[in-house]
Amino acid sequence: MSLTHLNQRGEAHMVDVADKPESRREASASGYIQMKPETLALLREGGLPKGDVLATARIAAIQAAKRTHELIPLCHALALSKVSVDFRLDEAASRVEVTASCRLNGRTGVEMEALTAVSVACLTLYDMCKAVDKDMEIGGVHLDTKRGGKSGDYSRGSIPAPSPIVTGEGVAGQVSIGTRCDIASPCVRVKCLAELRERLGVSELVVPLDSLASTDVGGLKAALVERDERFAGLSEGRVLCAVNQVMAVDATPITHDDEIAFFPPVTGG
Amino acid sequence: MQRLREIRVQEPPFDAGIEQAALLAGRSDIGAVVSFTGLVRDFNEQPDVTALTLEHYPGMTEAALDDIVTQAEARWPLQGARVIHRVGRMTPGDPIVLVVVASAHRRAAFEACDFIMDYLKTRAPFWKKEHSANGDYWVAERESDHKDASRWESDDDDSP
Repeated sequence: MSLTHLNQRGEAHMVDVADKPESRREASASGYIQMKPETLALLREGGLPKGDVLATARIAAIQAAKRTHELIPLCHALALSKVSVDFRLDEAASRVEVTASCRLNGRTGVEMEALTAVSVACLTLYDMCKAVDKDMEIGGVHLDTKRGGKSGDYSRGSIPAPSPIVTGEGVAGQVSIGTRCDIASPCVRVKCLAELRERLGVSELVVPLDSLASTDVGGLKAALVERDERFAGLSEGRVLCAVNQVMAVDATPITHDDEIAFFPPVTGG
Repeated sequence: MQRLREIRVQEPPFDAGIEQAALLAGRSDIGAVVSFTGLVRDFNEQPDVTALTLEHYPGMTEAALDDIVTQAEARWPLQGARVIHRVGRMTPGDPIVLVVVASAHRRAAFEACDFIMDYLKTRAPFWKKEHSANGDYWVAERESDHKDASRWESDDDDSP
C-alpha cells in the first residue's frame, strides 16, 4: 500500500489518469451536525431567521461537490453526472444527519467530492442556525461506500476499523506449557499470543507434521489456513513468529515437537 | 572485573532504591550507576486509562532480556546490570520496568541504560492491554520506538 499522491521522492503530485479506463464511479459519504433540541425543532418548523435551511444546505453541498478540485490541491476537476444530498432529522440524538452521493463515468474516484459535499452541507447548516445556537458541533464525517476503479469496492464496516481493537478484559496473559507431542505421531505445538490470540480465538493447538506441505513456518501457516480461514490473519499486517522461542521467518524449518508462537509486535517497557 | 547481572519478570511491584542498593552492595569499583523506572500513565492511546495488563511469553522473555544485556555489555564496559519487568495488572502510577546499569564512568552507564530500554521496547515479548472508560484494547506498536532503537544500529563514527 502506498500513497498515490506522493512521487518517488515523496513530493506531492497529481496522478496522471489519462491512460486509466473509464468506469462508473460512485461514492457516498455522511456526517452530522449536533444541535440543541430547540434548534432542531426550529429547523423542522422553518422558524429560523435565514429561511429554508435544508434547501440552502443542499444547494451549497452540490456546488461544493462540483468545486472540490478548487479546495483539495491534488484532486482532478470532474464532470459529475449526479450529486444527491439527503438530510435526516434525528430527534433522539438531536442532530441532522447528512448523506451525499456522487457519480460519474470517468477515470477517478468521487469520494473526495462526496466528503466535501457533506462537510459543506454541515458548515452551511451551522451558518444558517448559528443565530440561535452557537454550540452546534459537526462530526462523524466519513466515507460510507465507494464503487468502481482499480482499488475496488469499499463499504465501511466490512473491514476492521483502524481504531484499537476493543476486547473484553480477559485473563492476565499466561501461556501454559501445553501438551507434548506423541513420539509416534510427529507434530508441532502452535501458540497464539496477546491480541492475536483474542483476534483468532485460539491460544494453543497441535498440528501434525505430516499435514504440512513444507516443514517450515510458511508451510505451517498454509496448513493452518486450510484448517480455518481466519488463520489468513497470520500473513496480514505485522505478525511475528518464534520457533522454540527464537525469532523466525517463513523459511525457518520446523521439526517434531517444536513450539511455534505467533504474536503481534511487542509493546512492553 | 566483577560483573553482576540480574533479570526478573515478576508480578509484584519493585523498589528501585532497594534494587540499586543490592546492585551496589559491597562494591567500591563502581563509579556511576544509572537507574530508569517506567511508570503506568493514565493516558496513552485513549484518555482515562484506568488500568493496564501486561502479557509476556515466559521463557522467551527472560532470554530476550538476557540477550539485550549481553549486547549492552559488548558495547560498554559495564560492572553490573539489573532489569526487572512486571507482568499482570497494574494501575496508573505503578512502576512497570526498572533498568539499573553500573559502570566506572557515567557516559557508559547513561548510554547502556538508554540502549537497554530502547531494545527492550522493540525486542522483548511483552504486550500491553489498556483498560479505559471506553473499553479495553491492545496497545499498538509505535514507530518512534523503532526509530529510537535504530539509533544504536548504524555503525557511524559517533556511535560506540
